[in-house]
Amino acid sequence: MNSLPTQQDSTPESDRSVPAQPRAAVVIGGNRIPFARSGGQYAYASNQEMLTAALDGLVARFGLQGERIGEVAAGAVLKHSRDFNLTREAVLGSALAANTPAYDVQQACATGLETVVGLSNKIKLGQLESGIAGGVDSASDAPVAVSEGLRRVLLDLSRAKSTIQKLAALRGLRPADLLPNAPTTSEPRTGLSMGEHQAITTARWNISREAQDELSLASHRNMAAAYDRGFFDDLVTPFRGVSRDANLRADTSLEKLGSLKPVFGRTLSADATMTAGNSTPLTDGAAVVLLGSEDYARQNNLPMLANVVDAEAAAVDFVDGKEGLLMAPVYALPRLLQRNNMSLADFDFFEIHEAFASTVLTSLAAWEDEDFCRTQLGLPGALGSVDRTKLNVNGSSLAAGHPFAATGARIVASLAKTLAEKGSGRGLISVCAAGGQGVVAILEAR
Amino acid sequence: MDRLLQEPPPLPALYAKALIRPAQTALRLRKPSTALPDVRHRVENVTATPEKVAAFQGLMGRFQSQFLPSGYVHTLAFPVAVSVLARRDFPLPLLGMIHLRNEVRHLHPIAIDERLSVTARVEKLLPHRSGTMADVVVDVEAASQLVWSGRSTYLAKGVQAAAPGTDSSDPAVTDRTAEDVPDYPTRVWTLDGGIGRSYAAVSGDYNPIHLSVASSRMLGMKRPIAHGMYLASRMVAEIGPDESSPFQWTIDFRAPVTLPSRVLLSAQVERSSTSDWLGAEVTAWDPKRRRTHFSGRLERLHRQAGAE
Repeated sequence: MNSLPTQQDSTPESDRSVPAQPRAAVVIGGNRIPFARSGGQYAYASNQEMLTAALDGLVARFGLQGERIGEVAAGAVLKHSRDFNLTREAVLGSALAANTPAYDVQQACATGLETVVGLSNKIKLGQLESGIAGGVDSASDAPVAVSEGLRRVLLDLSRAKSTIQKLAALRGLRPADLLPNAPTTSEPRTGLSMGEHQAITTARWNISREAQDELSLASHRNMAAAYDRGFFDDLVTPFRGVSRDANLRADTSLEKLGSLKPVFGRTLSADATMTAGNSTPLTDGAAVVLLGSEDYARQNNLPMLANVVDAEAAAVDFVDGKEGLLMAPVYALPRLLQRNNMSLADFDFFEIHEAFASTVLTSLAAWEDEDFCRTQLGLPGALGSVDRTKLNVNGSSLAAGHPFAATGARIVASLAKTLAEKGSGRGLISVCAAGGQGVVAILEAR
Repeated sequence: MDRLLQEPPPLPALYAKALIRPAQTALRLRKPSTALPDVRHRVENVTATPEKVAAFQGLMGRFQSQFLPSGYVHTLAFPVAVSVLARRDFPLPLLGMIHLRNEVRHLHPIAIDERLSVTARVEKLLPHRSGTMADVVVDVEAASQLVWSGRSTYLAKGVQAAAPGTDSSDPAVTDRTAEDVPDYPTRVWTLDGGIGRSYAAVSGDYNPIHLSVASSRMLGMKRPIAHGMYLASRMVAEIGPDESSPFQWTIDFRAPVTLPSRVLLSAQVERSSTSDWLGAEVTAWDPKRRRTHFSGRLERLHRQAGAE
């Protein structure tokens, strides 16, 4: 595929035979608040507050005060029912014009990336000139639900008309019903937590503890170096006294990571290898990305960092244990590459979301495994290897933390800037999500 | 000999009767027998209460359907089965009996409002290495057609009531050492201490060994244990087909699930090339002690040609 020319008209991409080619959707820039571990600096910040802060930082950075944006799409994974219109409420509380429409998206940890894909498609189709995509999550300010028993009694009570009916409704209440239900990260259909699911995949693929710790170390070092050279200066706006991701450990080492006790997979017959150091912690934070058409960027004198080229979603049958919970991106990628007539060699940067170090390592191992690629992916042979020097070059979720819905926008903004710095090339994004889902996407330098 | 009961007997009364039976035996008011009563108890016009079925489905995490869950049919028929076990001439003590195995053929979908006839009998009084076992066979008919047939095997520990013969018991039942369990779970059940009471509420089975620490101690258990039929019904609800297709299932209980508990399960589901559910093999185990709680097998039944 050729890089898109800089005329304002959209130009057909060379390898596609579809007659009318859509115009380009470009990443103009991004903004996020620094991420913080759950229960830390943002313990009392709500999703709406954090998303509004991320939006306002973006508004300030690109001079969007009082401007009507085509559409804002964002979401949260752990969401209060009162936040049914979370994104619209955040827009109303932000410096954007009040007539900016907004909608919520929820695709677990792929939420942020999916908002980018959805709005980019609207821009490509000419439905939008500009859009803001993003996500937010608070594991600290998570909704706590009443028990099913109490909920039923309360609903029956609200429908009851007479005193007798009300008393009858209350009679159904049991002491145990008064205990609240705290949110969990368990998969509803299996009861296993995401870490327990990944521990099974890790053991199946024989991913070593050392390899996981090394990947985690690289993530922290790369992100610390990126902060030091000012890479995040125009991507992050301080919030509540935090100016760097609070989870980042610039001084961590293999010794320190190696001293941590395994937390997932302890009930398996294989050795447990997943620790708090090579798994992402529960995190609070928000991130957004400004997207637009080339026209929009030029008319407003805004930068154009990268094009959003294409994306593909996949899902796997993890309920029967046929495939690992977080393996869907492994299936999505060959489909995306095939449609775009590309191979792994066509990419200069790989952003593989580090839900767990072993998620990245199993993905890499699967793409290198000839047998797996033949039988599971339907390919003639192994998909290929990812050059590790091109992987998560400015750090990823192990260092930054992972506020579920915010991660996609963090990655898109960082990768777009990385591509703009290089001035050429392509980047690949891979994000796994709960429910056995995953989304992969291609960005291209301009 | 058939005995037609007017209505399903109330379980609490049967349990109460059973509680005083050991005392009667001790006082030599009744003689322990060594043979099974040759009798069938039958109750007609049994119907489910939709609200109770809904509560049962809710506890199993299933949506409501127009058909009875396979496990619920057992519940509906259970009082008739217990009425046979509670007979004076049944040689084993009803309370404290251990549920070893269940075998169910669910031949036709059963509409929730169907009028059912339930027949129960006992069979196969056999010696076991740690006591005596017996089968309870329950047949459920709708409009004179057999729709559901279940065989439950129970063990009375420390009771020598059967004529000496081949010991057909599985030695693993009382084996306390770590066993081979599957390498990987496909799901986990987190069972709280109240799950026995919750299942009692939807099934009507208030056997004290399931309810609380205090009530289970009365029967010599340190902690309450999950109802075997809770485990079986949940297995069928989560891993089986929907209630509209005929299927059969078996469950073999090994180490009881003490409450509260975290149970790992491996369910290997077979599907056709068009993703139709064909069957499943299930193992449930205790991850700490690495002991099997139960193993199950579910299989789709094909409707016989000519039937319907």
